[in-house]
Amino acid sequence: MQPRRQRLPAPWSGPRGPRPTALLLALLLLLAPVVAPAGSGGPDDPGQPQDAGVPRRLLQQAARAALHFFNFRSGSPSALRVLAEVQEGRAWMNPKEGCKVHVVFSTERYNPESLLQEREGRLGKCSARVFFKNQKPRPTINVTCTRLIEKKKRQQEDYLLYKQMKQLKNPLEIVSIPDNHGHIDPSLRPIWDLAFLGSSYVMWEMTTQVSHYYLAQLTSVRQWKTNDDTIDFDYTVLLHELSTQEIIPCRIHLVWYPGKPLKVKYHCQELQTPEEASGTEEGSAVVPTELSNF
Amino acid sequence: MRLILPVGLIATTLAIAPVRFDREKVFRVKPQDEKQADIIKDLAKTNELDFWYPSATHHVAANMMVDFRVSEKESQAIQSALDQNKMHYEILIHDLQEEIEKQFDVKEDIPGRHSYAKYNNWEKIVAWTEKMMDKHPEMVSRIKIGSTVEDNPLYVLKATKTYGRNKIMTKLLDQMNFYILPVFNVDGYIWSWTKNRMWRKNRSKNQNSKCIGTDLNRNFNASWNSIPNTNDPCADNYRGSAPESEKETKAITNFIRSHLNEIKVYITFHSYSQMLLFPYGYTSKLPPNHEDLAKVAKIGTDVLSTRYETRYIYGPIESTIYPISGSSLDWAYDLGIKHTFAFELRDKGKFGFLLPESRIKPTCRETMLAVKFIAKYILKHTS
Repeated sequence: MQPRRQRLPAPWSGPRGPRPTALLLALLLLLAPVVAPAGSGGPDDPGQPQDAGVPRRLLQQAARAALHFFNFRSGSPSALRVLAEVQEGRAWMNPKEGCKVHVVFSTERYNPESLLQEREGRLGKCSARVFFKNQKPRPTINVTCTRLIEKKKRQQEDYLLYKQMKQLKNPLEIVSIPDNHGHIDPSLRPIWDLAFLGSSYVMWEMTTQVSHYYLAQLTSVRQWKTNDDTIDFDYTVLLHELSTQEIIPCRIHLVWYPGKPLKVKYHCQELQTPEEASGTEEGSAVVPTELSNF
Repeated sequence: MRLILPVGLIATTLAIAPVRFDREKVFRVKPQDEKQADIIKDLAKTNELDFWYPSATHHVAANMMVDFRVSEKESQAIQSALDQNKMHYEILIHDLQEEIEKQFDVKEDIPGRHSYAKYNNWEKIVAWTEKMMDKHPEMVSRIKIGSTVEDNPLYVLKATKTYGRNKIMTKLLDQMNFYILPVFNVDGYIWSWTKNRMWRKNRSKNQNSKCIGTDLNRNFNASWNSIPNTNDPCADNYRGSAPESEKETKAITNFIRSHLNEIKVYITFHSYSQMLLFPYGYTSKLPPNHEDLAKVAKIGTDVLSTRYETRYIYGPIESTIYPISGSSLDWAYDLGIKHTFAFELRDKGKFGFLLPESRIKPTCRETMLAVKFIAKYILKHTS
């Protein structure tokens, strides 16, 4: 177990970035305009470099995107991870193309109601290269992580979850998960874990340099009978986007079987404004068996 | 194994005088070799370690899990000793008393009444402010600083001297008044209980739009319109039609302006993300005393983490969370209050806004440590 002192060294917990040796100083001047929102027109000169260092939030952005992708690709609701701490990182800006980030971070198991709260077991470590294409979604991710849970244990937990899902009585009369006071009934946890897995795909696709998402709540769930033993369900989630504070409803359709690639289709509602026509984000995916294109 | 012992302990305590285990910790260590096993045995000689597993010191050996309970005071020494010897450990339980109480699902709450362990609707909060005034008239007074769009009252509690139970609080209250606004966006809060749990803004109508509400924390006069994405009445971060256009904003700014001479610190509480933030949000320039603010934030977050190891990051709003304009924090700072902080409380996104009620008390306890530190610091360092 990690001793309590396992923490970012002082420079990291501060407003300043990582130690200068880790940075390409020449490129810092290019960072500043991109990290302010486009056209901010603030009183300060956008060319003026900030206080030495990659803004922490860019590295966190990259780490989150990488984790969403990692979780989706794992296809396992028992092996979900969340960000513990960003440890170091670098960024390269190209005004025409976008922003490349290399980030190293620690993770912990995602386990909403463990007795140990945030200190559940070991910390995993990940290294990721994330390419944000000029404010466009669907960042390219290349991520590797140390193993946090034994493969056999993971398979067992996945299978247990699968059985729990299969035993649920339909139609599921669920109003929301968690309820408005943050409570998830233990019998409904498998639904939540699987929804989080499916939402990871959506959140990965939608993350940009500026936007990042959390799964706020499930507002409806429907499970379909299948001929082939897979878990098939439709649900509506509310995603919370931090930079705009928007709550975005998404319909997600997911097909899963332990050990098999996850299939996801989704449709998110864009902000409805009187002036614009409503837009939608749509996407679907199957976990690729070859990852050569990443 | 662990589940049996606490019940065992409780059975004994009921028979004698009530024993408590406040802030006692339970450690788990896995000695890698004989040398490390011996270190634990030595620690057991000089400290009071209550072994949960194995049952006695002499059973401790290499390559086994060793669990033991230790008092809050001794846990510091234990941690240093383990760190010094490069031994890995885990703190399974941060506050044994809490875990015990949780097992009983202590129903100190009477349905219908305010509870410190639950979310309370607006009515209960108002009733609580009245109760505070009744119970502690020498210490707590309630001020109405204005009202909301829907004519709900905005109450500030003033806490003054003659406390007594906690040494630090007594000292602080001796020299400082605390003005506490328990709920700023009352109408929005009520709406989140009755109609839409995720509602963020207030409930004012917008001209030329069907969409309702302004984000009060974009409505302050601090570079109010410098960030373009807050200009849409239908957006959750809509800045309003003008700086301080909202009744609620005006109530607060008037109050603060009229007490400006007295006010040394402004702290605002939000959720979520586990961050302690200081100005600025509307620019990447750092405030003149940013080093001081960073120092306070660093120690504040360190102190906060001593309770449950909850990790916060800290820094200026713009680079730590995202650029924002019109925030109360920036406004209060530019007005002249040189120590302004925003807490983004638990958690980091697993539950986000829907933080389970069981986290309420721990969140409060750890946050209070940071608040007390900030207050002490200000007392020491400002005239």
